[in-house]
Amino acid sequence: MFNRIILLFTLILPFHASFAQPTINIAGSSTILPLMADAANAYQAIAPTIKITVSGGGSGTGINAVINGIVDIGMSSRQPTATEKAKLSENFDIIDIARDAVAITVSKAVIESGVHSLSLEQVADIYRGKINNWKQVGGFDKKILVIDKEPSRGTRHVFAKTILGDAKARAPGANIISGSNNEERSIISRSKQAIGMLSHAWLNDRARGIALTLDNGKTVSASPADVLSGSYPIQRSLSIIVAKKRSKTLQAFIEFLQSPALAPLIKKNGYLPLV
Amino acid sequence: MWLRSWIRFSVIASLALVLLFVGFLLSASAPFFFNYGLSPIIAREWYPYENLYGLLPALIGSAWVIVIALSLALPCGLATAIVSVEILPQRYHGLINVCIDILAGIPSVVYGLLGIALLLPWLENNLDLLSGHSLLAAGLLLSVMILPTITRLSQDALRDVDTSYREAARSLGLDWSQRLFSVLLPQAWPGIRSASLLATGRGLGETIAVMLVVGSIDRIPQPWYNLLAPAQTITSRIGREMGEASVGSSQWSALMACALVLTLSVLLLSLLAQRPART
Repeated sequence: MFNRIILLFTLILPFHASFAQPTINIAGSSTILPLMADAANAYQAIAPTIKITVSGGGSGTGINAVINGIVDIGMSSRQPTATEKAKLSENFDIIDIARDAVAITVSKAVIESGVHSLSLEQVADIYRGKINNWKQVGGFDKKILVIDKEPSRGTRHVFAKTILGDAKARAPGANIISGSNNEERSIISRSKQAIGMLSHAWLNDRARGIALTLDNGKTVSASPADVLSGSYPIQRSLSIIVAKKRSKTLQAFIEFLQSPALAPLIKKNGYLPLV
Repeated sequence: MWLRSWIRFSVIASLALVLLFVGFLLSASAPFFFNYGLSPIIAREWYPYENLYGLLPALIGSAWVIVIALSLALPCGLATAIVSVEILPQRYHGLINVCIDILAGIPSVVYGLLGIALLLPWLENNLDLLSGHSLLAAGLLLSVMILPTITRLSQDALRDVDTSYREAARSLGLDWSQRLFSVLLPQAWPGIRSASLLATGRGLGETIAVMLVVGSIDRIPQPWYNLLAPAQTITSRIGREMGEASVGSSQWSALMACALVLTLSVLLLSLLAQRPART
């Protein structure tokens, strides 16, 4: 009988220990998600007793979740809106951890058809519905599949601010609306005629970033050189939002996120380190 | 004794839950109807940032999707039920039921992924579309998803037709199609009717699969019967925006109003399905 009780205890104890583990919950921008997941893994190698969960949902979700106390860290890849700012007020810190460029992304076939760069004006006209065929910008005779993003997504805010002049501008030329970077990339790479906006880290062979011709005639792309020099116009800070009142465990992790140790992970994910 | 009180408790609890849900939705969407009245229901533009909350495109989208789904699933489901109950010998019943149950058991997100991987490219290539995202894609996907509900409930309805009717029809010398259309289907009609209504309710509420293939854009199809256009449904709107709306904001209460409209229509359908129809 005693043996059984002891056996039971030995079975329960390890579980009990894992429940007592300090946990850091993180949610928000799907742009920062892959970087944060890597950072969490790296940090757990240093501090194995701490459990970190990372999930997506978009910048809007991240900001709201941290305000409502659902998560410890909210990830945001855009500036908070006025209403969000009012709620964040004095009680939260916004900490930049990296920089990112939003690439105007097109299907592989579009580039192969001869469209090698677009001007900011052309991209705006495509999203306003004034240009709707690739032949109008030097490509093949195919209609443009214009993909817009859910309005709260950080990528969309940055894109719309630079291209359409206002982070909340309408895009009447859009054909469909997608959510995460992942969803949008799969639509672009499946299509032959799509244009969309992706965080630079999500580009691949079938969803390629297209170079932009600036008003001064210079052509720039979402490459590290052009982003860091500031000449690539659609760029932003990737930041985290945390309550000012925070535990030591949380503070230690945040210091890790700001340390140079994060730089290789940031580069690996296609973003640009600040330190 | 305890059994009776347990049953009584359960009944009261389920009733209370329904009232609680509806009450919550009413109170959460009240600010919206207070500020904007009922006019958003027929307004066309939904731009939360500009405080425009027009429900019409999503309502039309939901209606189209369910019409497409029903017009495919009802004939197919009914035919399956007739074949499996009236024609096939008993030993095949198990096989058919297993197939239908598997169809019913597939999670809806898996249907959505299958839709993205197979249905969208197929539509895109065969109908020469800009992208496969469309009302048609959502309707096709949904028809498969409500097929099990219709089939299973229609089977039950057919089985419930008294054997004496079948025997009487046969002894009158009616042939198969006469027996089917003048005896079996009219007798089973109340059951088939509630099957379709329940399936409609299920279909209206389906979110993730529809959201992945419908295109999620707030636009009324042009012209109105253009089923190949991307559109929005009430559920895909709620699914896409609920996470980003901060609790208590006007966008939040507008989404709650969407949820209220949806819940009320599904409740209405369930009530209609309950009422025994006269034959």
